[in-house]
Amino acid sequence: MAFRGFGGIATSGLIAAAILWSFATTDVEFSRLLSAGPRIADFFGRMFPPDPTVMAEIKKGSAETLRIAILGTLGAVILSVPLGILASETMVSPAVFRPIRTLLAFIRAIPLILVAMLMVGAVGLGPLPGIIAVAFHATGMLAKFYAEAIDGVSRAPIAALESAGAGPLVRLRYAIWPQMAPVVARDTIFRFELNLRESLILGIVGAGGIGFYIQTYVRSFQYDKAASVTIAVVVMVIAIEAINVALRRRFT
Amino acid sequence: MSTAVEVDDLSFAHTGADLPALERVSFRVSAGESVALLGPSGAGKTTLLALLDGRLQGWSGRVSVLGAPLDPDRPPPSARRPDTGFVFQEFALVERSSVLRNVLNGRLGRMSPLRALLGSPTKHDLEIARTALADCGIADLAERRVDSLSGGQRQRVAIARCLAQEPRLILADEPVSNLDPARACEILALLTGAARTRGATALFSSHQPDLARRFAQRIIGMRDGRIVFDVPTSELNDDATAELYREVGPIPGIGLRAVS
Ligand SMILES: Nc1ncnc2c1ncn2[C@@H]1O[C@H](COP(=O)(O)OP(=O)(O)OP(=O)(O)O)[C@@H](O)[C@H]1O
Ligand SMILES: [Mg+2]
Repeated sequence: MAFRGFGGIATSGLIAAAILWSFATTDVEFSRLLSAGPRIADFFGRMFPPDPTVMAEIKKGSAETLRIAILGTLGAVILSVPLGILASETMVSPAVFRPIRTLLAFIRAIPLILVAMLMVGAVGLGPLPGIIAVAFHATGMLAKFYAEAIDGVSRAPIAALESAGAGPLVRLRYAIWPQMAPVVARDTIFRFELNLRESLILGIVGAGGIGFYIQTYVRSFQYDKAASVTIAVVVMVIAIEAINVALRRRFT
Repeated sequence: MSTAVEVDDLSFAHTGADLPALERVSFRVSAGESVALLGPSGAGKTTLLALLDGRLQGWSGRVSVLGAPLDPDRPPPSARRPDTGFVFQEFALVERSSVLRNVLNGRLGRMSPLRALLGSPTKHDLEIARTALADCGIADLAERRVDSLSGGQRQRVAIARCLAQEPRLILADEPVSNLDPARACEILALLTGAARTRGATALFSSHQPDLARRFAQRIIGMRDGRIVFDVPTSELNDDATAELYREVGPIPGIGLRAVS
């Protein structure tokens, strides 16, 4: 355990101080918390029953979110293949993979919603900024995964094919690719799931998809409609996860 | 009789290693012979076999394989590589591919690069692969994935891949180290028998003197990168093997006995 001796006491002290500081400087007032109950009840009251007339909007929004996720993932895959190779220590020298890995870490550190806002500013409203934002944001993770897939390949079969007289491309096809294919498939499906989940809310900043309707209905106090859209989103997330679990089991 | 392997005054050190892995090694193997390399761990058996396979550079001395000299600084041209087949200590199979695919991989160097890339083996390639599978007694496993096989079955696939390559020299690095005694006998019989019927030369390393005696015509003993003895099997005596595998003396200042 880390909590031992002086270091342990110092760590505990630091954590206690951080919690106290957060309470003292945030306006956490119990009176406000107490009055929240009836308000939330009122909020829920207005959400029920959910308005089923927004089916058309739900369909349109979900389809657009799905398209953003698919094209965003495609863009990320296209970017991640070369970047993944350049970030792998088996394919390139440290002088290349170190800066590329730093770049990928930097990309991962920028939140998707921030990229989306910038892209809305750059290319205007609609699904396009969403697609670009998802592709950019997902590359930070996917390229790293691809590099790890390349580096995780066992060397012995490659040497065996070399010994048999196979050239580099033939070795890539028959010794490297069969080993990394399932990892790449699993990682890409995983990233697609994340992309779909994350792009559900992109509409809130105007970057397309179903999030647009949630934002619109909440702003205009049409909570019953917002509730329907929210239910649709929850159903989608559960469905994605179920499909994903089934798919991932195939790639082992 | 022509010479399959000729090694003269060969020395080699791995990059970063303090001691040479091979020191002034000289020997020759006639075409069609079966020769065993015996020696404790770290003796240099794997290093010597990999070097003969053209996978190590930066050595000194003279080495010629199947009548052509090896270049100490450059891998051999790929056209010559299929003539030397290698059976790896840890099989080196593509685990997720089928048995047949792995055996066909042995033919990649014999195909035109385009055909190899497109993955379209000819009838002839398939026939050779199927024959190799049958010779190794695993014709019925052709469609199985390698990761579902036992150690003995994998070793057969590795040998079948090597045979499909149609090598004139077979180098096998401890081909039976992962197998039980009965399986070990079968595999060595298979390997040396297949070499004999194909007119190929076999050089294999082993830790088991009794097996080496049974399946090799000549035995080369190695220790610390040097050749300690090189004798016809009939002349190998137990004292020589015991000496080869004797313990290293007490290491000064540590008080432990390192067993090699
Ligand atoms: N890649 C490497 N880098 C540095 N040193 C190495 C490397 N491979 C082997 N060596 C060293 O070279 C020497 C010979 O090793 P080698 O693998 O050839 O022995 P071996 O006889 O095959 O042993 P074993 O019976 O355990 O397989 C050893 O001292 C080993 O530590
Ligand atoms: Mg070895």
